[in-house]
Amino acid sequence: MSGFDTLLTEQSSDLARDALAAGLPSSKVESWKYVPTRALNRTQWIEATPRTATEFSLTGGRFVAVPDALRAKDATLSAVESARLDHLYRAQGFALTHGALAHDCLVLEVGRGQQQTVTLKRLANQAAEAGFATLVIRVGAGAQLMVLETFEDSQAMESNLDSLCILWMLERDANATHIRYQAANERAHLFTSIDVQTRDNAHFTLQSIDFGGKLARTDIQVTLGGRGARTELHGLAVTNGSQYHDTHLAVDHAVGDTQSAMAFRTMVDGKGEATFNGRVLIQKDAQRSATEQSVANLLLSDTGRINPKPELEIYADDVTASHGCTVGNLNQTELFYLRSRGLSETDAKAFLQYAFAEKIVDEITDAGIREQVELRLLGELKHGELIAELKESVDV
Amino acid sequence: MLSIRNLHATINGTPILKGINLEINPGEVHAVMGPNGAGKSTLASILAGRDDYEVTAGEVIYQGQNLLDLEPEERAWAGLFLSFQYPVEIPGVKNIYLLKAAVNAIREHRNLPELKAAEFLKLVREKLKVMQMDEAFLHRNVNEGFSGGEKKRNEILQMQLLEPTLALLDETDSGLDVDALRIVGEGINRMRSPERSVLLVTHYQRLLDTVKPDFVHVLADGQIKLSGDFTLAQRLEKEGYEGIEAA
Repeated sequence: MSGFDTLLTEQSSDLARDALAAGLPSSKVESWKYVPTRALNRTQWIEATPRTATEFSLTGGRFVAVPDALRAKDATLSAVESARLDHLYRAQGFALTHGALAHDCLVLEVGRGQQQTVTLKRLANQAAEAGFATLVIRVGAGAQLMVLETFEDSQAMESNLDSLCILWMLERDANATHIRYQAANERAHLFTSIDVQTRDNAHFTLQSIDFGGKLARTDIQVTLGGRGARTELHGLAVTNGSQYHDTHLAVDHAVGDTQSAMAFRTMVDGKGEATFNGRVLIQKDAQRSATEQSVANLLLSDTGRINPKPELEIYADDVTASHGCTVGNLNQTELFYLRSRGLSETDAKAFLQYAFAEKIVDEITDAGIREQVELRLLGELKHGELIAELKESVDV
Repeated sequence: MLSIRNLHATINGTPILKGINLEINPGEVHAVMGPNGAGKSTLASILAGRDDYEVTAGEVIYQGQNLLDLEPEERAWAGLFLSFQYPVEIPGVKNIYLLKAAVNAIREHRNLPELKAAEFLKLVREKLKVMQMDEAFLHRNVNEGFSGGEKKRNEILQMQLLEPTLALLDETDSGLDVDALRIVGEGINRMRSPERSVLLVTHYQRLLDTVKPDFVHVLADGQIKLSGDFTLAQRLEKEGYEGIEAA
């Protein structure tokens, strides 16, 4: 019995039938091994009611206040887009349920050579409400688009759920940046699937920051399908209390002369648990491709858990690949150095945790979001106010 | 000021210090010299509170307190400062954050008012000038990408700002070129006062030409084998440790 049965039985599609039959993936499915899906089944989810909003938002599975300038002239999905979405819905555990229950499928478009920036705010759903929506974003040849994805930080007493699937279609020389600052309420269950298709010389950048939510699962798939296509993927998860954060990443170097660079950091405290899976595939004909992946995990408590898994599959022979993955507590030598200068142990720890996260935070290209993330980070740290004061007083 | 009495210490069960005795009075500069592996850096590290070592016997009294009972930051608050042999790089922490936080942490424990940004910057600029360091150092990450000499200058800069009562300088002269050695040496000399003591750990005599010690001790095989005045350092330079030990 899945927590989505009530919603799924109301649907008549093949996807709904299949999702009902499959249920949510159990811990036997590798990519869902650590996800506490049982907790999801404790709620019988009901259809979410959208709220009104004046700014572009996702609420109750619907997009509201969609900016006219970005709305696609022809919102009919192309054969390629339909096939890709179908593939996504059928590929992994929760996506089937998402595909069956998605209320809205919005198509945005930035025409050839244009430049746009848009903020999409994901609003919190009410108690036991689950919203599902899909967004297709077309970035024309040589066009630039920056999407800032933010979350409503509200108080919630009951479980709520929000699921969003984004399909990015990047034409030749397109440049897309997706910045996510996830600071949702502490009872939120968030599912986000980001799939990126690239043509020649397209460039996709993702900066993904997770602080909030009870459970946040993010699937990121980038197919480097055109020569010269490249991607930079950065992420930070700050996991505390009894939160569960999960990022599954898959980069497919399908053709030659493609580049990927990934940097992900996780900081777990309390009874938090975080999973990071980073898979890079370099296909047989993808010669002269380059990939680098750096994964660093900081485990600050005895009760927390970190599950990192970098995976590298290379079938071409002329490639440059590097990856590194570390898990550990704070560096004792650094801690001693700071304490020997008179900083209390708590202050010294705050300094080092801040420094650890800053590696990712510093790279956030949108100044407004970077500032919000900084503030949130300092708020999360015990004695973070010391660093806040220092930044305030001596930064020039 | 500092009494080290019969100090024994091990690392991973291996004895390193085998009964050190040393008295340091206010205003004195002591140099501890000795061959590699004699236990010089271990001594400095234990005094500063590093916990990789186990003290198996003996005691250290600093200004009437049992030093070994104090946490590293409590030692700093009590006026102890260690200049590291290998200053630690801390990516992501700006030098100026560390300096200001450290200065104010120590001032708080000396019941002095917190230095506001403008006062702090005035003070730090003055000390940078002494150490012939560019202001850009303040906004770089702590020791990250610093040359060996820059790291050591940064240590002495910290010492100038924190104004310790007892400074432990662990191989501060290693990795310095002639000019840096002079700047660091003069930086240390400026700190000499009747209330402040210095324990200088070094392998070579060269820093002692600038910072002239009141006492020189030879540490070998975990014990102080010989003590004397400045001329002992000159003898060591000429005859080497083996010559002295044989004598």
